[in-house]
Amino acid sequence: MIKLTQNEILKILLKKKLFLILLLLLIFVSLFSYGQQFAYERTVQQFEAETGEMDFDWRVLASQRLEDLESRSDNEFIPEGVRASFDREIQQLSYFIDNDINPITPTAFGFNAEFAEQGIGLFIPLLVVILAADLVSGEFSKKTAKMLLTRAVPRWKILLSKYLALLMMTTLLIFMVAVLSTLVSFLFFGELGAGEPVITGFSVFEGTLVSDSTILISRFQFSVLVYSLVWFVSVIIASITLLVSVAVESSSSAIGILMASIIGGQFLQFFLADWELVKYFFVTNLDLPSYLTGSYQPVEGMNLSFSILTLAAWGGLSLLISFILFNRRDVLV
Amino acid sequence: MHTSVLTVSHLKKDIKKKTIIHDVSFDIKEGEILGFLGPNGSGKTTTLRMIVGLSRPTAGDVEICGYSLKKNFVQAMSQVGCIIEGPDLYGYMSGYKNLELLGSMSQGVTKEDIDSTVKLVGMENRIHDKVDVYSMGMKQRIGLAQALIHKPKLLILDEPTNGLDPQGIHEFREIVKRLARERGLSVLISSHLISEVQLMCDRVSIINKGHIIQNADIKDILATGEAVWTVNEPEKAQQLIKDRFGLETTRAPEGLKALVDMDTLPAINKTLIEAGFEISFVDNKKRTLEDLFLELTEKDKI
Repeated sequence: MIKLTQNEILKILLKKKLFLILLLLLIFVSLFSYGQQFAYERTVQQFEAETGEMDFDWRVLASQRLEDLESRSDNEFIPEGVRASFDREIQQLSYFIDNDINPITPTAFGFNAEFAEQGIGLFIPLLVVILAADLVSGEFSKKTAKMLLTRAVPRWKILLSKYLALLMMTTLLIFMVAVLSTLVSFLFFGELGAGEPVITGFSVFEGTLVSDSTILISRFQFSVLVYSLVWFVSVIIASITLLVSVAVESSSSAIGILMASIIGGQFLQFFLADWELVKYFFVTNLDLPSYLTGSYQPVEGMNLSFSILTLAAWGGLSLLISFILFNRRDVLV
Repeated sequence: MHTSVLTVSHLKKDIKKKTIIHDVSFDIKEGEILGFLGPNGSGKTTTLRMIVGLSRPTAGDVEICGYSLKKNFVQAMSQVGCIIEGPDLYGYMSGYKNLELLGSMSQGVTKEDIDSTVKLVGMENRIHDKVDVYSMGMKQRIGLAQALIHKPKLLILDEPTNGLDPQGIHEFREIVKRLARERGLSVLISSHLISEVQLMCDRVSIINKGHIIQNADIKDILATGEAVWTVNEPEKAQQLIKDRFGLETTRAPEGLKALVDMDTLPAINKTLIEAGFEISFVDNKKRTLEDLFLELTEKDKI
């Protein structure tokens, strides 16, 4: 079994997929960190030009933003829903100011968490799909399945070794995302910020911030938390990808099917948020880190444990069906 | 001594409710080379796929060295090496890596086994190149190597000489023959090339439209010819031949016709002459495998 898994890891590595993924990551992470640094510098410049002060103080800027939000919220012509979101922001911002937490200067640990939060719905799942889509279908489209399945090894062992290899590679991938986004953004920001406090567990109850569920943790802890969720989501995506890879014979259709369902799922959530069934679709449940900030609820009745359970069910079922299909399959390539 | 290495019994395969393979049975003994001959689309590859466990038979079973493929897949398959429809290897690895990888899936394959197999198929010089840059002949050699690396008792080759040049075909044939002779390896070769089967095999199974229509020794087929006697009293001669030799003859415009073992033809002639028949003409046509094949498969054209 160990030898089989080693073989599968070797195959993934020799296909140089990981290299491609690393390159993609490097490009995007650099682009985003540069963009964030650029935006921050402009904010500072504007601040200095407007106030005439040479020393940038984030408290002044934060208070300015607070005032701005408050005046916009007072406008009686804005719709109720928008006002609620303004009020939420106001409450959060005043919490930051009261507790002396700088929400404006970008740091590496702030960036890596944010990158993961933004990427978890689409970018990171796509990286997993790139890694996993040809795991089984590649053996069929290249016809090597004939060699693989005529050795004296039962089929379930072959699929299990492939899945184990995929899990290890997915873990490595998430680790790479974390390390790269931290390192690259640190190069741009020069600010690590691992020890800075971050507020999590905000929940808005009847429009007011309930602070008894508010937890104050360091940015480092928060990133670890976010990346654990990202890892979990990636493992589920990997399992679903395995199923598609077993079910179709060509790698390109496997990638196509998965991309379409992930992107299509985002649309579904956007247009049909009222429809009860949407919340059971895996794509709707991907955005786990958003629950950490409390106020997130993409479809009525969803929460962190609901999403985790739904995803786990998708993953488990995908695995089960993959094994049944793979065991029964007639190899006709 | 001559135990069956492969026994195929009553194999049947339905694909989309259509029966593709009907009740196919044959067996291979130790050290024997069996040719599996049939026109394109006759069900050769489908049958071989079932024998190596790639495809699940609708009915019937395959036994390899006494192990049922259904019940003891691992033990059965550890005795088999195969190439099904061309050697499809991992193109992004070297030939050597391919062998290492596939070898590690069988019990007890050592580095020496790999090296000696590489030597056997004559690939020492290019073994560390990527498979993607190999020629068809080289891929075929590595394909053969991966089938032999775990020292199987049964080698299954599906159209092994497709895409090889004459020299390659010759070499390939010599390697397989030598293995059967030296290691007592049993070989099942499917082909639609009659000459190939005639040159390599001890026995032949002819398949057409999913039915086995003849199992025979190559020697017997080659030794049998068609004899024609033109005699003065055909009915009486017919009776005599039947009584003495148990041979059924048919009446044709040119005389009596029968399929005869070439060794017995002089004896028949002698008997006819001694019985007082006037033989004006005797002809024999040596039958080749090709004649038999065409005769059997052309009966019902598609």
